[in-house]
Amino acid sequence: MIELFDVTKRFGSEVAVDGISLRVETGELCALVGTSGCGKSTTLSMINRLIEHDGGEIHLDGQPVRSFDEVALRRRIGYVIQSTGLFPHWTVARNIGLVPRLLKWPKGRVRERVEELMQLLGLPVAEFADKYPRQLSGGQAQRVGVARALAADPDILLMDEPFGALDPITRETLQHELRELQARLHKTIVFVTHDMDEALALADRLVVMHQGRIVQQGKPIALLHDPVNPFVESLLGGMDRGLKEAALIQVGERMLPLGPRLLASERIAYGASLSQALSVMLWHQVDRLTVVDEEDIPIGELSLRRLLGAKAS
Amino acid sequence: MKPGSLLARHVAPVPTSRRWLVPMAWFILLLMLSAGMGQLEWLFRLVEPDVREVIYRRAGFFALLGQHVMVVGVASLLAVLLGVGGAIAVTRPAGRDFLPLVSQLASIGQTFPPVAVLALAVPALGFGTLPIVVALLLYGLLPIVRNTLAGIDGIDPDVHEAARGMGMTAGEVLRQVELPLAAPVIIAGIRTSVTVNIATAALGATVGASNLGDPIIAGIVNGNTAYIVQGALLIGLLAITVDSVFERLQPASQA
Repeated sequence: MIELFDVTKRFGSEVAVDGISLRVETGELCALVGTSGCGKSTTLSMINRLIEHDGGEIHLDGQPVRSFDEVALRRRIGYVIQSTGLFPHWTVARNIGLVPRLLKWPKGRVRERVEELMQLLGLPVAEFADKYPRQLSGGQAQRVGVARALAADPDILLMDEPFGALDPITRETLQHELRELQARLHKTIVFVTHDMDEALALADRLVVMHQGRIVQQGKPIALLHDPVNPFVESLLGGMDRGLKEAALIQVGERMLPLGPRLLASERIAYGASLSQALSVMLWHQVDRLTVVDEEDIPIGELSLRRLLGAKAS
Repeated sequence: MKPGSLLARHVAPVPTSRRWLVPMAWFILLLMLSAGMGQLEWLFRLVEPDVREVIYRRAGFFALLGQHVMVVGVASLLAVLLGVGGAIAVTRPAGRDFLPLVSQLASIGQTFPPVAVLALAVPALGFGTLPIVVALLLYGLLPIVRNTLAGIDGIDPDVHEAARGMGMTAGEVLRQVELPLAAPVIIAGIRTSVTVNIATAALGATVGASNLGDPIIAGIVNGNTAYIVQGALLIGLLAITVDSVFERLQPASQA
């Protein structure tokens, strides 16, 4: 659990972070979003003390971060940055094993852990262990970055726009993988991004920052429904909010069991989002879709009225 | 990832035996010439047909070579310790304030002619080896300091941030990240410094530090070109030998 109490940071006369209070529960993924310069990255860096806070307190599991030795503190917090920051003179395997080696794990255990993580992140050991960072694509490099952050099995993960430099397709793949990883590992994650779709897709809790302050925080859906002011509303997508919300809801939540009617000709996967379902309807100009499971077997149907949220079809 | 900003380029290692072939060849040539200069008397006779003695014999070439190597070795070792150490010190947070001062001092050391350093050092330190070591040390500092600063400054700031963020101590960052990444550039600086100083060390002969400069000075004084050629030839070969050793030492061809 990470708690910030009235935390402030000044750079000279400029106030970068202005008295923010925040609580990230254990196992929660908290996304900090906002425009550039809103203080979100500074907030992140204050948690592992790469930047020291000037006022207020930051607690990890009830203990102030200042009470830890800063090196020991950072070794128990995973850290992922946009540019990966992989060491160019080290192989992938050595990069991933960095923190375990700093913690003086026995060699065999480091190797096992590195191989375990490479498998976890879809990097075949035989192919990648001895490669150097410059031989990797952006997506592969960031997988290594995430593996390195997870190496010593930290409870907390800080991610500073980790997928910001990737192309949209790779970014979406890695977001998906992070979600699956998080479902298994239940880390406490603070995730900084300026990509609202990414934040909505990943976050359990969304924190909107503006000019060093927290403007609004809560569950993504709650923010979409009740933005406190026009700034949050426009940040969340303005008129596109309906589609953004639809992107968070799975077809399975709205579908009805197969009725007596003929199957609709167009199909949609059970796990697809309502916005995708809507897109399919628009494309084929139909108002009814057959919902199928992973094996493409029809299990229900979705009508436009159901999609819009009506109780009965 | 910005590949252009990375200094280290790893290349497949050439087998050790073949890697050292070129420096070995130069070294053997140097030794052979030091030992067998007398055999080339007929050649030098062509250069200076009129003088009685065409081979420098006041001291053995081996002894002169040894003294030359020692003077350059001591001066370079001190220059490396001071230069790399100083550059590391002023790139630490505590020493950052001294960075401009140190890079200026090193530049001044380079602009100050070694002859002038010798002239000033002799009254203070007396004749002999000491003044030439001081002159070479001052003269050799700049390339080392400048390259060490450039090497450390050239490291991608994100690599630095990641290193700190992962929980490396300042010492671990220096030893495991900064120095290995800056190594090609630092070694290039040491290479320049040592090679230049091998030539400059010949000046030591003017202040009584006997080395391969002796035949050159004696040749100038007596108007004997053969002596000059002999000294210059060995100094040149020594410089080439050392330079080719450094070429092999450079862990990776630099960016």
